[in-house]
Amino acid sequence: MSAAAPSAQLTAFSPRVRIRRSFSVGFMVAALLAIAISMIMLGALVVEIAVDGAARLFTDGTAVEREARGGGIVTDLPTPVGMAWMTWALPVAILLPFIGPRLLNSLVPGLPRLAERLIGLIVLAPAAVFIHILYVRFESAYLIDYARAVGIDGASGNLLQLFGEASGFQIVRLLVIGILLPLGILAAGWFWSQRMRKPSMLIPAIMIIAWVVYLFIDPWFLSSFPSRKPADAGIFSAVTGTLYMMVITAAIAFPLGVGAAIYLEEYARRNWFSRMIQINVSNLAGVPSIIYGLLGLQVFVRVLEFERSVLAGACTMALLVMPIIIVSAQEALRTVPPSMREAAYAVGATRWQVIRFHVLPYAFGGMLTGNILAMSRAIGETAPLIAIGALTFIAFLADSPTDDFTVLPIQVFNWVARPQAGFHEIAASAIIVLMVILLLMNAAAIIMRQRTRTDW
Amino acid sequence: MARNFFTMMKSTAPSATEPSTAERTVAPPPPSMKQDAAAGVGVHLDPTLEAVRHDFTEEVEMALELRDVSAFYGSFQAIDRITLPVPRNRVTALIGPSGCGKSTLLRCFNRMNDLIPGARITGRIDFGGRNLVDPNVDAVEVRRRIGMVFQKPNPFPKSIYENVAFGARINGYSGDMDRLVEDSLRRAALWDEVKDELDKSGLALSGGQQQRLCIGRAIAVQPEIILMDEPASALDPVATLKIEDLMRELAEDYTIVVVTHNMQQAGRVSDYTAFLLAGEERVGRLVEFGPTQDIFTNPLDQRTEDYITGRYG
Repeated sequence: MSAAAPSAQLTAFSPRVRIRRSFSVGFMVAALLAIAISMIMLGALVVEIAVDGAARLFTDGTAVEREARGGGIVTDLPTPVGMAWMTWALPVAILLPFIGPRLLNSLVPGLPRLAERLIGLIVLAPAAVFIHILYVRFESAYLIDYARAVGIDGASGNLLQLFGEASGFQIVRLLVIGILLPLGILAAGWFWSQRMRKPSMLIPAIMIIAWVVYLFIDPWFLSSFPSRKPADAGIFSAVTGTLYMMVITAAIAFPLGVGAAIYLEEYARRNWFSRMIQINVSNLAGVPSIIYGLLGLQVFVRVLEFERSVLAGACTMALLVMPIIIVSAQEALRTVPPSMREAAYAVGATRWQVIRFHVLPYAFGGMLTGNILAMSRAIGETAPLIAIGALTFIAFLADSPTDDFTVLPIQVFNWVARPQAGFHEIAASAIIVLMVILLLMNAAAIIMRQRTRTDW
Repeated sequence: MARNFFTMMKSTAPSATEPSTAERTVAPPPPSMKQDAAAGVGVHLDPTLEAVRHDFTEEVEMALELRDVSAFYGSFQAIDRITLPVPRNRVTALIGPSGCGKSTLLRCFNRMNDLIPGARITGRIDFGGRNLVDPNVDAVEVRRRIGMVFQKPNPFPKSIYENVAFGARINGYSGDMDRLVEDSLRRAALWDEVKDELDKSGLALSGGQQQRLCIGRAIAVQPEIILMDEPASALDPVATLKIEDLMRELAEDYTIVVVTHNMQQAGRVSDYTAFLLAGEERVGRLVEFGPTQDIFTNPLDQRTEDYITGRYG
């Protein structure tokens, strides 16, 4: 050991260490900035609570209205307290996992990797618990204030009793978010310290989306049917109708589209006929969707007598997205290098075996991605469904594919067309739900594309 | 099956079992040829010209016999009337400058050119008494019996085990698959390196290992002939050496045809060498064929000599 000592001393001043230190200065600045932002947020929160208190709890007309008709005891709409808390907690939740281990490293350079991780966890764990306590405190304070304001006897100070009176959503929200958020921060920090960048980025991303949904969307809104009164109206039938139609659309369009793509790419000879089909497919992708609606009205609603059913809508949508699916599946098939096909042919595979065992499995991720993107196009389409006469006021769930249905964009269209301001507001909420569904689908497509990518 | 291709082709040829340079039979070159050849690069080959052939120095069976094989891509002719024997259980090298049709010729042997739209082959390739070029011959069956290893290692993006087992499985192999995989990988000199990680992706191996995996994959189908299209051109010298050793070992049980740009490699691994050359119109023709030693030490055509001594190509 003693023989190696001089060289060890030399390496202590090697350029690598110095570079690491200069990086660490940047991270310390970032960390201080994050802490400063957090403190300002925290100050704002304190001021807000002190000035406004529970007074602002009743600015939301919807909550009052629902209370008036004797609904749930506790509203699920976000409150000023909750909002302020989130503005404070979000930066911390996002930044802590990133700065935690690096902050440590900048303070104590040359820390062994294992110790760095352990200390990172030790620092993160109290932070997560702290956030958890803050959350429960504010949520409880809000509950107590609210209960007092609406005049629940004996509720003040007695959390357990209040929980007994609170709605199911409220308790679920308290438990899920109160536990999952600190756990999420912990997990993100752990993944980051393990140099697993993807999950450490993903967890804050999911948390942000969850918070945005939580901010604007009342779970009650998702689970109730349309109504004449904006406060009562929900999008349950629209969301389920959308999902129902999408599943049937995918079931029709994906096999047909992929089959067509396989035929065009792998089997069809390159002659005028296949070229004509190819040009037609490309052109069909650009045909206005209302045209598909009129086609669907005549073919599916009238001739095939599907009526204004989920099935008619799904068939029309399948026609609409088929060109997109075909083109993207063809592209996916083309990404499989010729060398893979040759390799399979060279061991005596037939054309179908090459496609079945090699080309399709390697291209499947790309095909699925194209399918999801096509579905996310279909999910926003309104015109063809209006053309086939999808209804806007559906106060029941479709039991079979032949039932009437409505979808989110049609519900939004209907609500924004009404004169009452309340409908405009819930239309905005419905749009957010639609956007979140779209975002999730596109994110799934991107993740799938990354995961199934092969470096040949 | 003809015992000796040339004794059959030319009844006047002396017995091939008596090796002697003095007795080497040479197709009579037209007077213009030597002159053209001396002109060097871009010699316009006379289409009627017959290739120079050395006599065989041994008794050997033929695995394949080509007669007047021409290949076309659409209207473009890639190779012109090549007549060539491929001796059984020997390594035959196809050499020549880029674009002379070596790879095209190789891909004729297992009907790989069928996959290219507009490609067609004329002439005869005798393989066990059948003409491979005949459209009625099932190309899939041909490829089962004549395996191929490509220039760039192209393992399937599946496990090492699956890479080897795939060919046997689709061909209805019903024996012990584990054993077949082990045997094939042993033959490909890869078993010791991968026996503990057969579940690992074939793409995770190094380039040389990938190429040996591809050789193992070809062996697993139990072919009679293995075609290799510049199998070591994408590999480093150490990996190349391993592949070359492997070729020599495999030649005991398989007929190997190898396309190579590397003259030393052809000299090291092959028993027989065919030299191809394309003229100005880019149509590849056979110039000289014979035992490798003869071709390298005593080329009879000026262009062959120029090429193997590195004067062009």
